[in-house]
Amino acid sequence: MRKRLHAVACAGVFMCVSPANADDGSDLDRIPPAANEQVAATDAAAGASRALYLQDDFALYAHRAALAVPLPPSTAPSWEERLFLDARVDWKLSDTLSLVYSGRFNFRAEDDLPFPSHENIRHDFREGYVAWEIGDGAFAELGRINLKSGVALGFNPTDFFKTRAVVEPLTADPSVLREDRLGTVMLLGQRVWNGAALTVALAPKLASGSAIYFNDNLPGFDPVFDRTNAQARILVKASVTLFDDVSPEFLFYNEAGRNSFGLNLTRVFGQSIVGYVEWAGGTRASLVHDALVFGRATGTLPPAAPSIIPQSAARSFQNDLSIGASYATAAEMSFNLEYHYHQAGFSDADWQNWFAAGAVGAPARGALWYIRSFAADRQEPLSRSSLFFRASWQDAFVHDLALSAFVDADTRGGSGIAQLSADYYASRDWTIGGLVDATFGGRRSDFGSLPESTNVLVKVSHYL
Amino acid sequence: MRKILSTLLLLLFSTAARAESAQDIVAGADSVRNPQQPFRLTVTDIAYNAGKPTDKNVFSVYSKIDPATRQFRDLVIYIDPPRDAGKMVLFRGNVLWFYDPASKDSIRIPPQQTLTGQASAGDILTENLAINYTATLIGDDTIDDAGRQKRDCWHLDLKAANDGATYNRVEYWVEKSTHFPIKAKFYSDSGRLLKILYYRNFVMGLDRVRPAQAVIIDAVDSALVTTVDFSDSHYQDIPDSWFQRDYLPHVKAQ
Repeated sequence: MRKRLHAVACAGVFMCVSPANADDGSDLDRIPPAANEQVAATDAAAGASRALYLQDDFALYAHRAALAVPLPPSTAPSWEERLFLDARVDWKLSDTLSLVYSGRFNFRAEDDLPFPSHENIRHDFREGYVAWEIGDGAFAELGRINLKSGVALGFNPTDFFKTRAVVEPLTADPSVLREDRLGTVMLLGQRVWNGAALTVALAPKLASGSAIYFNDNLPGFDPVFDRTNAQARILVKASVTLFDDVSPEFLFYNEAGRNSFGLNLTRVFGQSIVGYVEWAGGTRASLVHDALVFGRATGTLPPAAPSIIPQSAARSFQNDLSIGASYATAAEMSFNLEYHYHQAGFSDADWQNWFAAGAVGAPARGALWYIRSFAADRQEPLSRSSLFFRASWQDAFVHDLALSAFVDADTRGGSGIAQLSADYYASRDWTIGGLVDATFGGRRSDFGSLPESTNVLVKVSHYL
Repeated sequence: MRKILSTLLLLLFSTAARAESAQDIVAGADSVRNPQQPFRLTVTDIAYNAGKPTDKNVFSVYSKIDPATRQFRDLVIYIDPPRDAGKMVLFRGNVLWFYDPASKDSIRIPPQQTLTGQASAGDILTENLAINYTATLIGDDTIDDAGRQKRDCWHLDLKAANDGATYNRVEYWVEKSTHFPIKAKFYSDSGRLLKILYYRNFVMGLDRVRPAQAVIIDAVDSALVTTVDFSDSHYQDIPDSWFQRDYLPHVKAQ
């Protein structure tokens, strides 16, 4: 447009057509002298093959005074200090072989933990495996591997290896939870073609199932295979490009003889929107039934403990669904909105029964809260349907400040959790940040009945 | 005979006219910017605010032409700063995946997201302008290049021709004698000038003289300038499977 205006203004004036005047180059004055200096070379291979950082987190927790269903005597801390060294290293053994380690050494202190004690030191052994690039797009890996599936942000029904894999999280943000979770010991084979891929994962049973861990009984240096390899599991997934940008992924999963199926699909709409669907389905019982069975089997609940709320042992085909879209703006903002459906989760009747049983007396309350701990441990939504919204903004207000926020709300009763977090990249090696989250809703709602009301966390990270 | 001769002459001249068409000029500049064989290079971008360097990012880029679309597929691996090391973005037309090694999670992102940041990926990558834009020759210009040397250029106007185009409109200056890309101005859908780009430091690389640096001047915030350096380039056999989402966890920067 500017050029066109220039042409109109100069029409009929001979001198105006001087080529030198067509673009005066005044913008060159804005190039800083420092930009003329030679750029130092960077070792690309070294930069991408290892990541090491030291981080310190300090968190404060506020709790609700009166709960609709009071907690049994609790060990929930009111403050927590965590210093950890996080490492992810890829050693090249030969042209086709490499050894991968990923883990985190934690030093932690809480107001409810004795100090010093073995609970103050912990190692999260996330991954350790040998990778073999067979060639022609074929790979084989053996060891503890974090195999992630899914296209959604807030809830991944097809991420079958997520159960029991997250250790003592400091945030409820689903995208951060995925950063510190344990892999599963497996043999993984993969073949990638142009426009298609096939993955097969075989995970053996290596340990018996264990009771749910809490913050005061976490093993220090045990690799806790009882969390990830308590059942034999098989995952097969295949993706194929059908046309244009549509490449559905199909999944088959078998855990201890029970089959599940899954589908992932994404599609771009224009320049700014990506839509996605993630579905999984399989035969299983309700969340309540599975929780009580697991609690009895692992010794947390008495073997002959009666069901505290009405529930059926019947198995039926249950669906899990995440459907949503992401939207990016020119101002470095992105938004995600998702609807989550978890058919095995709490129905309205289950919620009424849960609160009614909690009002009867103390003996049942332990089992009631155990059901919720079971859902959290398995990273399953507790309720049947929820809405998830996430926003992030790079260079928000000032350069190098990143803001993000999310809300995860139960569609029943309008309760939820909201979180706002900020990270400031103070330099190439230092990042400081913080977050605040709060649960909201009525006393007899999903999130409003939780003991934690608010959590404030500050952190500083140094990259090595 | 005369008729045949005149027909041949007409064909000859029309062929010559096509050789000088705006689209061919842009294609010629594309071949200066990007080789036709698969290659890798290191990209270093430095952001300046009010003349002072504020940010430095280093990437490894692996590029290969898609024979179906004649457009480049790119795999970008973050090298520096350390907090981003190992992250990747896969570009395959409108299919973009972001991969984070910390979570081993890949997320599909909209093309708009590549426009964010001072040296947006859309600028630093290997877009074949002749395929994504329809070019019109406006005229001849003698302009200053980034080193304030006079360059005798074709002045072209490029309009987005398909969804693969990063910008709605581009003004483009290409040196007549060499087909070197010298300068470009990028406009939004609303016609707003967003960025001014100069290519400079023309040196030998990948078999011919190519620009080793792009200077991007932000037209919205007058304090912001970014330099993008291309180095350590070499041809490399890149299997097509590299440009699949499922390949991302196996990629190792070389």
